[in-house]
Amino acid sequence: MALVPGRPVLADRIHGGTTVRYDSITEAIGNTPLVRIDPAVHGLAHTDLYAKLELLNPFGSVKDRAAWNMARPLLADAAAHGSQVVELSSGNTAKALAVLAGMHGLTFKSVTNRMRVPEIKDLLLLLGAEIEELPGQSECLDPTATDDPLTLFHRTLSEQDAAYLHTDQYFNPRNTEAHLTGTGPEILKDLDGRAPDWFIACVGTAGSSTGVARALREHDPAVRVLGLVAAKSDFIPGIRTIDEAHEVGLFDPSTYDTIEAVGSDDAIEGMLTLNRRCGILAGPTGGAAFFGAVRRLKAIDGELSERQTAVFVVCDRVESYLSYVRQRRPDLFGRPRRRNTPADLTHADIQTAPAIGVTDAQAWIATGRPLVVDLRSPFAFAALHIDGSVNIVDELFEELLHGGLPFSHNRPVLLACPVGEKSARYAALLTRMGHPDVRGLAGGIIAWRDAGAPLVRD
Amino acid sequence: MGGQPLYLAPRLGEELRSLLESPGLLHNLTDAFGSPLNVVVPDQLAANVERFRSVFGSHHLSGQVFFAHKANRSSALLRRLAVTDAGVDVASLGELQHALGAGLTPDRITATGPKDPEFLWLAARTSVTVVVDGVGELEQLAMKVRKFTLPRVRVLLRLSGFEASGVRVLSRPSRFGTPAGEVEALLEAVERHGDAVDLTGVAYHLDTTSLTEKATALEGCLRVLEECRSRGLRPSAVDIGGGFGVDYLADGEQWERYTTALTDAVLGTGPPLTWGGHGYGLRNEAGTLRGTLGLYPAHRPVAGPRYLDELLAHPATFFGGRPLAALLLEHLYDLHVEPGRALLDQCGLTLAKVMEVRPQKNGGELLVRLAAKADDVALEEHGVLMDPVVVPRHPDRPAAGPVAVHLFGSLCLETDLITRRTVFLPRRPEPGDLLVFANTAGYCMDFHATRAQGQPVARKIAAWQEGGAWRWCLDDQYWPTVSMGGQQ
Repeated sequence: MALVPGRPVLADRIHGGTTVRYDSITEAIGNTPLVRIDPAVHGLAHTDLYAKLELLNPFGSVKDRAAWNMARPLLADAAAHGSQVVELSSGNTAKALAVLAGMHGLTFKSVTNRMRVPEIKDLLLLLGAEIEELPGQSECLDPTATDDPLTLFHRTLSEQDAAYLHTDQYFNPRNTEAHLTGTGPEILKDLDGRAPDWFIACVGTAGSSTGVARALREHDPAVRVLGLVAAKSDFIPGIRTIDEAHEVGLFDPSTYDTIEAVGSDDAIEGMLTLNRRCGILAGPTGGAAFFGAVRRLKAIDGELSERQTAVFVVCDRVESYLSYVRQRRPDLFGRPRRRNTPADLTHADIQTAPAIGVTDAQAWIATGRPLVVDLRSPFAFAALHIDGSVNIVDELFEELLHGGLPFSHNRPVLLACPVGEKSARYAALLTRMGHPDVRGLAGGIIAWRDAGAPLVRD
Repeated sequence: MGGQPLYLAPRLGEELRSLLESPGLLHNLTDAFGSPLNVVVPDQLAANVERFRSVFGSHHLSGQVFFAHKANRSSALLRRLAVTDAGVDVASLGELQHALGAGLTPDRITATGPKDPEFLWLAARTSVTVVVDGVGELEQLAMKVRKFTLPRVRVLLRLSGFEASGVRVLSRPSRFGTPAGEVEALLEAVERHGDAVDLTGVAYHLDTTSLTEKATALEGCLRVLEECRSRGLRPSAVDIGGGFGVDYLADGEQWERYTTALTDAVLGTGPPLTWGGHGYGLRNEAGTLRGTLGLYPAHRPVAGPRYLDELLAHPATFFGGRPLAALLLEHLYDLHVEPGRALLDQCGLTLAKVMEVRPQKNGGELLVRLAAKADDVALEEHGVLMDPVVVPRHPDRPAAGPVAVHLFGSLCLETDLITRRTVFLPRRPEPGDLLVFANTAGYCMDFHATRAQGQPVARKIAAWQEGGAWRWCLDDQYWPTVSMGGQQ
């Protein structure tokens, strides 16, 4: 049963669907599964909680739908004029548009002030996108300045002869429409034609929550809609704070019965539950939706006499947010202890590490022919260094030491770093590892320079 | 007054708190010297220098902290600075004379900004370091050195227009400095005039709160310095300017509550919060919020020395992700910083006497007129929203409040508003009371003050603690010998 005329229904052999064979990847957008969360995980006695798995869209997120729906009618014309696709996005919309633009021989530019997740930035560059970042706020504020960077952006778009395809996701009704005609009806179909009692979504462009809410309410006005925003001083990728939501043209507070805030710690907790216990590799936005849904439903679940149904949206996948999670939860990335690390050293070890002053070091180099190892970065080494020295940057040196001593016992070693701090630690470590004649350059390269000892560039 | 009062309480350090707890002193001072009146606390400046120094120390960096003089004209602050190991950054002939006269020796002074011939001559004559804007200025300087047979002048080259990797940052164009991409001609000029100028390094100053933009600029400087070295020049320092910011407010939640309420007010879904519906840059277009909030981020936990610390810990993309501090250290460069506002954090306050408190017929906000002009308290000019503290004339008067007020200045001018927002005060002010604006020493005391309509500009008092009591003198009477026990 096709809900959208001319569009294939999700192929699913178990449920008697058609064969999954497409002519274009864009046909794989939408028709995502609805998966029930095990009650043992969420602990709600009277609620069937379902996840709408938008992370299974081909480019990885719910934004594939909106991006395709907004761009599709304009692509042919844009290709004829060689226009550039532009959007204000720092995440999934940019990703989807970059792919769609590339497929149609167009370039894509993302303008953003929120490119805060490095993996997404790198992925966009990998997909061939051009990224422009808006500057930070002026430190010496000029309250009379009216040309904020965003105004300038819109002015550029409207310049004559400007060849741009601006999808305008925060204001474009086709964003909402993608969900009104796609996501919403899919949920109804998968719940056997019934609307859920609750629909829970995070507010980003407000497109998915508004479109789905409208579709569900057209079917049953009693649906309650919970909108989730980020706590104000917090940052969750893809979710706006309540103040930022007001800047979105598609955002209408009356869409939501309730708007609640979620913090990034809770979003990550929700994400971990989905990842580890449900096999759903959701990102933090999906985690926020799950956490917000359970928090809201727990408050009422005990008083229910009948079973109720709730649906939340899992926007995208976890893989792009590893650095975001690492920054907030370093405990999750605890690695096994490794042998021979400077972290094993005591303060006393470092204090008593063998060291040598600049004058003695110069004499030692002349007579004892120690291997001089410069632990600074290659750029600094290339600029100026002690003649005859070898450059092994500290990070690499540390890696080498995990495997054992990288020098013969009978080869004396002089370690040099900027101020003699790192060299003392590695001299202590090498001594502990059994090297008989290693010394750190006391005061480092800076003391060497200040003493007037020669530094060369090659 | 409808709803909860939306306070924006100032963050107060020990010194300012102690001053505010001395109402007799504050009233005596305004009785004697009039309203408005500025009070500066020189010892706080010395403490702030130490805090910046400790960031240098934790990254093992050497270099210098230069106070950006333009943030405050006070002599007391400058003379107290002379006792520390910090330097000063001067941007005019007058500021240079002031710094030399305050006891700062030329090795602790850098001259920046647009320079007229007199400024350039005195800078070269006294051997202060000159931050050169471009080839033209470098040539003027070299000509002066030769014409007046002056010693070789140490110069830093001011750069701008740095390029980031991967993304294009739409930084505001600067009208100062030489674009990093066009530095070759400038370096050629440095070599050509090697008899007159001695290149000690490069400098930048970006007007942005963004850490990543500054990190990009610092990386750009390192690349230019590398080019200098490959030409056989021997630069030794990077000057990264200032703009480290100040955390003005005591309570982040108040700031968040206030800005949300302001959004609601602009959208018409909450009560109005400003005079004449001013939106501080925000506007309502068919129910959607447009524009940009033109306010200083007054609650700013990462400001001042902490901001510098984060900048130095920031990984450099061009250099294998090593922290910027490590790169500076490894390349053997000194770091110069030029904080203005951040060095003056908690260094002073502005007192204004309440002249009139007029209730409105409709029961709206009280209209409070002060003996001060808006330009005497330039917090609003800098987009800083922060409540004044009411210091009653008679301390035993029972407190009535809280109240919502509008604060008007003393000019016969509709727009002379101390602030355009409704201010909530925990107690009702009465004529004769003082409103104390805290933390005004950075840019908000004398930068904008005028003598419009023949009204006086605020006088300035220097205050310090001695044996648990506050002592004070006129700003230009202050010398370190007075406050630091050197008179015996």
